[in-house]
Amino acid sequence: MGRSFYRRLTPYLYLAPAMTVIFGFSVVSMGISFYSSFHDYDAFAGASRFVGVDNYLRALFEPDSHFWLAMRNTLFYVVMSVAGVLLTALPLALLCQRIRKGQALFRTLYFLPSITPGVVVALVFFHLFGVWGQVLDNAATALPALAFLGVWSGAGYNMVIFLAGLTDIPRHLYDAAKVDGVDAWGQFRHVTLPMLRNTLVFVTVMTVIGAFQVFTSVYIITGGGPERSTEVITYTIFINAFAVAGQMGYASAMAWLLFAVIFVFVFIQMRIFRSRNVYEG
Amino acid sequence: MKDRRLRFAPMVALILMILGAVVMTYPYAYMVGSSFKTRREFAEDKSGLIPPRYQIEERLKAASGEESALDWPGAEWSFFHNYVDAVRFGKVDRFLANSFIYAVTLTGVQLFFNILAAYAFARMEFAGKGVLFGFVLSTMMIPSAVQLIPNFLVIRELGLVDTLWGVLLPGFAGAFGIFLLRQAFLNIPNELEHAARIDGCGSWGILWNVVLPLSKPTLITLGLFTFMGAWNMFEWPLVVLSNQDYYPLTVGLSFFRMETGADWPRIFAASVMGAAPLILLFLIAHRYFVGGISLSGMKN
Repeated sequence: MGRSFYRRLTPYLYLAPAMTVIFGFSVVSMGISFYSSFHDYDAFAGASRFVGVDNYLRALFEPDSHFWLAMRNTLFYVVMSVAGVLLTALPLALLCQRIRKGQALFRTLYFLPSITPGVVVALVFFHLFGVWGQVLDNAATALPALAFLGVWSGAGYNMVIFLAGLTDIPRHLYDAAKVDGVDAWGQFRHVTLPMLRNTLVFVTVMTVIGAFQVFTSVYIITGGGPERSTEVITYTIFINAFAVAGQMGYASAMAWLLFAVIFVFVFIQMRIFRSRNVYEG
Repeated sequence: MKDRRLRFAPMVALILMILGAVVMTYPYAYMVGSSFKTRREFAEDKSGLIPPRYQIEERLKAASGEESALDWPGAEWSFFHNYVDAVRFGKVDRFLANSFIYAVTLTGVQLFFNILAAYAFARMEFAGKGVLFGFVLSTMMIPSAVQLIPNFLVIRELGLVDTLWGVLLPGFAGAFGIFLLRQAFLNIPNELEHAARIDGCGSWGILWNVVLPLSKPTLITLGLFTFMGAWNMFEWPLVVLSNQDYYPLTVGLSFFRMETGADWPRIFAASVMGAAPLILLFLIAHRYFVGGISLSGMKN
């Protein structure tokens, strides 16, 4: 009796440490944050007053709210950096594949930004942007400059993912295309792209999720300026939660709105990619 | 005509890749090169590629009057004067030690907790298994930027703000690690487990003597990625900590620009020290990193 009880208990003992941590920092934490988003919540004093959906209404409709401005900046950043990553990583992978010697060396070099702390990368580019011109002082060019930094950091990592996807494409498909007289562009259009569909979905979705959360470069390089042109949503949330007193509830509400936006975007992407179902398998 | 184009294609690819590599490595060359320069040499060179002039007298003169490492016993080390200054006046040694402590502790504890959970999910039967595993997977959906405030509120409730534990605790387990390890553990043949059981091994013994030795590549890859993530983490310690003595290098560096009055050669010296450990690790364990990327690519 006692022995079998212990045996049945064993799996739960193995699970307990990890599950406690994960439960505490997902369900419990999100619960507290959800609760605080309906309160006038001061993280430092710990005092709170129920205000209903006021924090959400304030974020969405009040004229002094930066939510929409920050969301618009974030969307621009997402579009620029995702387009940039796709337009560099895939061509780089195709080029890298054609190189006979030294592929590993290039992979290593292009991968460097992924293993460099974001703070270091941001500091170096902060200085380089200053040397290259006035990009950071101009409201029209500051956000594209940050997106350039995002593309520079992400291109190599995603190139390696695309390379893995490319090597999985069976050679005989290309041979068949050549026999049929299909030119290089046709091979890319009708063999490579369809066969890379899963990789493309993965890279796009992961880059979108990552770009929505851009913070380090904004925090280090621009601080949201000039003229709030680089104030992205994570920065707005960060400032309201940790730099201004008594705005924790408001910041929590914006974080939940961000969660909803990312969720909707990923959902839409998955639907789009799923409906275009070509050459399965 | 067409044949010639095909023959030249690899050459064109090579040239384009080299151009790309220049774009990728130039910021590193700039950072490393500048870190060896005096402020004057640095100001005189916009490209960052002109080598410093290596003259000790010049350096002594350039540095005279300001706080500098050149009154240090080994003035012949003046080539590294920005590095010495970063340590002496910027606490970079302290930040590096902190980063190391955070990264090693997080990697060790997270790997251990994840292994235990993944082992239960992969090789044991119990009530609620499907529900619990589904719950673990669902937590991967929460973006880390969204988790920042919630996690902070928990750490605050626990009274761990501005402590080492506050930085570490949320990273003691991870859904993705559990998922990855479970996949590896599932691939181990049942026969080996049975044989070990006949030899008198319990579940603990099977884990250590059979399951873990056979999952080495996954363990190393996951360990490296956890270490890298912990070394590079920035937003979380920035939020939790206010005591400088606990700062990891990333947070310490972020305040460096103001503290040094934008002394860029010194900032770059500290940056090199922050980036070098991971780059070295990457060069040593290159194939595990690349293996890890294809693992994460398989997730979808």
